[in-house]
Formats: sequence, C-alpha cells, structure tokens
Amino acid sequence: MLVAALLVFGFGLSGVSGVVAYFLPAISAALNITGHQTQGNSPNGNHPTPTPSTTPNQPFNVLLLGSDNDTKFAPDQVLAQTMIVVRVNPQAHSVVMFSIPRDLWVPIGNGGPAKIDTAYADGGAAEAISTVENNFGIPINYWVWIGLGGLVHLVNDLHDVNIVAQMPILDDEYPSDLTGGNPYAYARIAILPGPQRLGGVAALEYARSRHGDILSDIARSQKQQQLLLDIKASAKDVGLADVPTIAGSLGDSLKTDMSITQVTSLLTLAKAFSDGSVQQIVMVGSQYFSNGTIDGQSVLLPNWTGINALVAQYFPS
Amino acid sequence: MRRLLPVVAVMALMAIFGFGIYSVLGTLKSSRHHTTKPTQSQALIDLPGTVVVVQDGKIYRLNSLKFTPVKAPAYDWVQVEPAPGGDILAVAYSSAYTNVYLLNAKGQVVRELLSESSSQYLNNHWAYYPKVSPDGKTLFYAADWLDPSQGYNVDFQIQAVPFANPSAYPVVWSQAGLWFQGGDVEPIPLANGGIIYAKYNIDTLGNTYAQLVYVSSPYATPDSLTTAAQDCAEPALSPSGTEIAMVCTKNSLQSTTLQVASWNGTTLGTPVVISAGPEPASPTWSPDGKSVLYLNTLLTDKSSPFQLWWVPKATALKPGAPQQVTADLNFTATSPPVWTA
Repeated sequence: MLVAALLVFGFGLSGVSGVVAYFLPAISAALNITGHQTQGNSPNGNHPTPTPSTTPNQPFNVLLLGSDNDTKFAPDQVLAQTMIVVRVNPQAHSVVMFSIPRDLWVPIGNGGPAKIDTAYADGGAAEAISTVENNFGIPINYWVWIGLGGLVHLVNDLHDVNIVAQMPILDDEYPSDLTGGNPYAYARIAILPGPQRLGGVAALEYARSRHGDILSDIARSQKQQQLLLDIKASAKDVGLADVPTIAGSLGDSLKTDMSITQVTSLLTLAKAFSDGSVQQIVMVGSQYFSNGTIDGQSVLLPNWTGINALVAQYFPS
Repeated sequence: MRRLLPVVAVMALMAIFGFGIYSVLGTLKSSRHHTTKPTQSQALIDLPGTVVVVQDGKIYRLNSLKFTPVKAPAYDWVQVEPAPGGDILAVAYSSAYTNVYLLNAKGQVVRELLSESSSQYLNNHWAYYPKVSPDGKTLFYAADWLDPSQGYNVDFQIQAVPFANPSAYPVVWSQAGLWFQGGDVEPIPLANGGIIYAKYNIDTLGNTYAQLVYVSSPYATPDSLTTAAQDCAEPALSPSGTEIAMVCTKNSLQSTTLQVASWNGTTLGTPVVISAGPEPASPTWSPDGKSVLYLNTLLTDKSSPFQLWWVPKATALKPGAPQQVTADLNFTATSPPVWTA
C-alpha cells in the first residue's frame, strides 16, 4: 500500500515538475508583463491612477499605447506615437476603438501644452492616462503598452497575419531602426495593395509607415486599428500551450497594469466579438482639428466642439 | 544492491514521465495553419493545363495534381505573369528594389527586362505587375515615381517600354503621385491599344478606395469603370476579352469579394459575386475562359494562409460554387496564378 502511494506520489510529482518546467517561462514573462503599477516619472507628480472596472459586465476603457522604443530614446522616456482608447462593452458584445492623433496639442498632465505623444515620455502611463482623462473626459480603467519589437514578435508567434492592404504603401524614408545598427537610418519599403499574409516585420511596416499617405499619422491610425483586428483574428486559436512561446518572446516589449486573471478574461472576451461588433473611430477633418505650427513643430490644434461630440457619442458616461 | 536497482529504475521512469509530460505539452501548441512546401503536397482537383504559382519566394508549376519547382535562379520571387510563347514574366524582390525577368518554361533567365540599375530615366526602384500587350510588342508595369516637389510623395504609376527593348525610355501612362494615395497598379493591356488598371485614391473623409479605370492612350483622361463605393482592384480580363474578374473590398477593409462583370470595351456590366469571402485575391482566367482560379483563405478561417480556389463556369450569368484546390500551402496572395493550356 505504502509502495503504491509512493509510486503515485512520485509520478505525480514528476508530472507536475514537467508542467511547471514547461510553463515557467510563461509565468515569469506574464509576471513581468502584467500588474505594472501606474507610476509616472514626471517631477510634477500627482498623477491619478486608472480606476479598475470592478463591476462585471460593465463597459470599461483600455488605453493602448505604442512606442518607437528603439535606441533613439532612453528606455523609460519613449514617446507614445500610438494612442488608442478601446471601450469594451461585455454585455452588448461591442467594442469601440478610438485613435488619438499623436500630434494633438493639448495640456499634458499638470504641465503646459505639448504634443500628446510626449505625455508617456514625460510621465509614463500615469501621465498619458491623466492627459486623456483630463482632455477627453474618458475614464481609463486599464492601460497596455507595446513596443515595436513586441508587435513584430507577436505577429511572428501567431504565424503571420492576413490583411487587406487598403492601398499600395511606398515609403522611401521608412525608419530602419529595428534592423540596422543606426537608429536614424532609412529604408525603402513597398507593400502591395489587397489581401495578403504578412510576417511581423512587414506587418509593422504596414502599420507604421506614414510618409506615403496624405493623411500621414491619421492614415496610420486607421491601419493600426485594422492590424489590431487582424491580430485578434489570428489569435483566436491560440491555446494554453502556446503561451510560453508568445509570453517569452514579448519580453520587455509589453506592459500592462492588468493582472494575469484580467488579461485572461479579456482574451476570452475578445474571442466572442466579431469584426462587425467593432466600431473603428479615427478623427479626420477640420471638425476635429486644424494644422498649426508651434515652436517650429507641426501640430494639430484640437476643435473640442467636434471632439467632445464624438466622445459623447461613443463613450457615454 | 539488488533492492536498490528497482528503486533507481522507478525513479528513472518517473523522470522520463516528467519529461514526457513536458514534451507532450509542447506538442499541444496550436497546430493551426500547418503549411508545407508545394512539392510535399498535392492538389485536391486536377485542373486542366498548367498553373504556375509563387510560395515563399519560389516558383512552382502545378500539373496533374502535382507541384514541381521551377528551377529559376535563387532570387526572392514575388510575382509571376504570363508571357508570349509559354515564357513567364517574374518579379524578383530585393530589400530596396525589384527586378523583372523573362524566364523560359524551365525557369532559365531568357533576359532581364527591368532592373533598378537601368532606372536612370525615371529614378524608379520598384516594378510590379508586368504584363505584355496582346500584340507582344509592349511591356506594361507599375513603377514608383517620386514627386520631386514633395520629397515624401512616392506613388505607383503605369509605365510601358518596348518588350524587345525594355531599356528604352519608358512611356508614362498614368498621372499618379499627386495625392500620396498609393497610385496606379495592375495594368491590363487591351487589344485596342488601351489599358485597364486599378487607380487608388482618397476621399475627403480620408477613406482610401480603388477604382478600375480605362485609358485609351498615355495621359488620356481615365474613364472610371467602377465606383469608389465598390472599391475594386486586381482586374483579370477573360481570354475572349468580354468579361472582367475583380476583387472588391467590404466590411471596412477586413474582407473582400471576387466579382465578375461583362465588358464591352467601354463599360462594365452589373457585377456578380462569385466568391463572397473571406479574402479572395489575384484572380486569373482559365485558358478556355470558363472558370476563374484565385487565392483565398479557408472559408471558415479568414486568418489561415492563402490556398488555390477555383470557380467553374465563372461567367457573370452562371457562377458556380467555389472549389478548394489546395489545403495546406501558403501561396503569395499578391501574385496571380499563371494558367496556360
């Protein structure tokens, strides 16, 4: 009897060891990615922290931040060139993606006006959140930050994504900061229009290139939202056994204040949404902003009447 | 010692069991979208004639259900197009430019047609969608054009050179490059000397769209064949010259449809959808003009790699049901298959 019990215990322990060994990288990476405190590094301080959504099935807002985190910038002072507020309504099974142009000239945190993409560089996620909340009146419940390499790894780990490229993308001055040794070097890229399957580098090129489009950053926002939906489609079959590979390769390129449990819930929720339930909002035109130059910088001067109407429509309090 | 031996053996078995669990978990990774080389696969339908396709930078020929590699030089091949006499026009990609070659049926280079090193005339670096005119005299293609007045503005435009002398100064057929809209691509030379191509544009709300247009001569004002709302591109003219297959987007650019419309030389008829999704691309007509071959994902999984699909009797009046030709490949969706008798 004792021998049988020892055998069961021994084999059980061995099996558990195998499971732990397999998922150890994922657990380590997941702990590294999730549960980040919403701290700022601005001397201004006094940043609000996001308010977690505590009521199940209530709509909540996630601020997605994307950065060019190449060696041009100090690791903790990267601009957030991509800012997308995602409103998830679990009950209605609907999602709104609202892109904020990086050149929008707004009061930043507790300081003076600047381009909105500097908020994350100045004060981390906390200042990015307070800037969005104070200017747009949209409460932020969670935040997620991803760097360039993170997007490339994510797409590669998903075994590529399918996109319908909305136009030919030609860019003679695309930053070659990820592949070359010189972060200020340029590369010439061409992406053909229409349906196609892209690997991580090409997917990043599609979502990041802006020189070949008259709408520049605005068009880039449209393509970024499109890529997010394509990534969601590719991620739908990802299983538990895939997590170690994906989590391991993301490394320092992904951060969020959500807990592992909340991330898991969100991923489960995302699988239930169809593309038709996602509304993509990108501000285009003078009803939302006008072009201007301040301190030698090309900026977008907000037209709050138009912006507030849009926010009230898609982010009802 | 005798009593220790079974204990060691059991402990070794436990260790093997633990390692086995670890290994089994590794095999549980999603095997979704498992793809293979065409030479290790087989078509599901025996298509008549020969089909040439591109996968992972290599060119393959499909004949009697089997794929064989076309033994072309080891370039990164990204597009193939038919050429006179059974030859193949093939686009080779490099990190910052493309070159266009004429290959014979064995894959040997007959001659280099367009290269970046011969781009001294219009300073273009990319050449895609090569097409030889029906009379075999002219090579049309889409090339990049950099607007000298606006440094970032680089768009595709349609150019043409003599097929026998492709290093001649190109004739520019379309005025792209005015609005950073991507430009003009996918030329289809017609027997009357004009061309149909896809023109990309942008509306005042920032929506990008494509239209099929027709021009009778270089720089002539293009006539729109489709509307901005239809958002159609990737035209393929039937061998008889009376029908056009095209790819139109729907659902905020997340999916496409394959449509066929009659063509009388000046206008398109009402299009009929012959493949409703998820992402049909790059159609080509069968040599007898009775069916269309194209690339698409699996019908139930729009995130899957692109396979060959076939619509028999793909006339605007009698569309058939799409049939899957391959199951586990990963074809380059921006390269239309070449189908010869």
